[in-house]
Amino acid sequence: MIAELLFAVFFGLLLLGIHRKVIARIQRRPGPPVWQEILHMLKFSFKTTWVPATASTALFCGVVLVAIGIWTAALVVVLSGGSLLVIFAIYMLHKIVEHGFGLSSGSPYGKFGGVRSVISAASEIPLFVSVAAIAIFTQSLMITDIIAYQEINGPLLITVPLAALAMYVVLLSKMPFGPFSIVESKELVSGYKTEHFGVWRAGLEVCNGLKTYVLLLTFILVFIGNLPFWLVILAMVIILITLSFVCALSPMLSPYDSVTVQTLIAGLMVAYVALLGVMS
Amino acid sequence: MNEIGGAPLFFLEFGDIVIYFTPFTLTLFILALVFTVFVLVSRPERQIDIAFGGDAYYAKEISLSELRFRRFMSIACGLACMGAMVTGDVFDFTLFVSLVGICNVGIVAAVKSRHVQNAAYQYGLVALAGTVPMFSAAAMIAATTGTLSMLELAKGMILIPVAAKALLVLGVMGEGMAPFYAAKAEMFRAPGAPYVIMCSLSSLLIFLRVAEVILLL
Amino acid sequence: MNKQYALALMLVSAVSAAGALALNYWGILPFWAYAAVLIAGFPLFLLGLGLYWMAREGEADMPFLGY
Repeated sequence: MIAELLFAVFFGLLLLGIHRKVIARIQRRPGPPVWQEILHMLKFSFKTTWVPATASTALFCGVVLVAIGIWTAALVVVLSGGSLLVIFAIYMLHKIVEHGFGLSSGSPYGKFGGVRSVISAASEIPLFVSVAAIAIFTQSLMITDIIAYQEINGPLLITVPLAALAMYVVLLSKMPFGPFSIVESKELVSGYKTEHFGVWRAGLEVCNGLKTYVLLLTFILVFIGNLPFWLVILAMVIILITLSFVCALSPMLSPYDSVTVQTLIAGLMVAYVALLGVMS
Repeated sequence: MNEIGGAPLFFLEFGDIVIYFTPFTLTLFILALVFTVFVLVSRPERQIDIAFGGDAYYAKEISLSELRFRRFMSIACGLACMGAMVTGDVFDFTLFVSLVGICNVGIVAAVKSRHVQNAAYQYGLVALAGTVPMFSAAAMIAATTGTLSMLELAKGMILIPVAAKALLVLGVMGEGMAPFYAAKAEMFRAPGAPYVIMCSLSSLLIFLRVAEVILLL
Repeated sequence: MNKQYALALMLVSAVSAAGALALNYWGILPFWAYAAVLIAGFPLFLLGLGLYWMAREGEADMPFLGY
């Protein structure tokens, strides 16, 4: 498990690097090297570090531990074939992490990042929809059962394509530089992570790497099924590149527009799963 | 569908009220506990604000009496959350959720800012209105099935009215989840990060738990 | 944080995670306990490593307010 954890951190960061590179190439820029995010993480971990004078110290440091801890837990759950509901819970609780990062420092930029993270609460509803749609078909939310169901009945991607789309939107709303990434937009400097620098930011980078890896892995396991390791890696990169295309070609929405679009998507998805429930 | 949150790890029985831990409820419980500990041990941050028309800035301080009251309310909120996460009884769940609503209003009502108090007042009204459908859902479940134990209800022997489930969700929505949640955003203007985070955390936790309860019933 | 403490934190979490791995491998420790040690230990290990490795501890300053 320790080896998988370390692999997940580095490969997740590499995926984020590929994401940046693809966006840059689409926008006809050279872009940073693909391992840039790994270098960032290493660089931040030996920079001068302190806690801002106005910060709430315990929360400021503690939230970094929580951020890494919850995504480590998510990885353990995915790899051991646990309940999809736990992944859903951890995904939602990541919002608290963003909120905690933003508010604990006393910086106005961080605070606005945190508040924006709170108002985009509708971005989580599509994940619940995909969980509910899967539950209707598989009668279980354990990832092992979902994989077993797919071995008999074919990938859920074909059975419930709209649920897969819902989860895709969820992935998109957590990708950096995407249309919904209002929590870290440039008018807020770096949004919720503005005041977390040095070692704290290195921790956050590790959390981002893990998060990207876990979410992509969950998508593959839940909608495509159990693949050989090299195919999983390939599928991850392909899904990531499609996400990068969306991110590169769409502008970042204004906060209210982002919330409106997310709420509309959530409403449509809830209507879809209600229809599925009635039909089954 | 009995094990949607993973296989139960541990049961704690108080007569016919059973508290149970699955990997799902345990995760939520531990997070509520961790953030309650943060409330206990951390001092509030001092929000920096810029004075318009110059380079000056000032830090908002929280007075000791306000700090004590809000810390008390946050800890109460954390305890209510932990209760709501692990209880195996529908009525207990609704009680804990309504307590979370009250504590959330309490956490922000002590802040001396007009915007925050307005938001707290509006949220308080919604939370109060939310208790009506929530308790009526519990009453309907008790009346139609004769039990409020989630473990009994999860066996699927007796059909639970869809209206009861819908009312339960509506009630919990009133206590703090989206879309009423957006009104809560205004509450986060309040300084005192460890305390306002409890508002946000409690809403997410009760939303997650009600999702599990609905799938379970 | 004192660098000695950071080093100690890092070593303690690394040793306990490695110990849990070994005990789980030999079948003494159940999987959930190993996972719990890993989930608690990994963040502490990373922060311990970073705080030990960092250049120096700076003076506490006000948050960033403008360009």
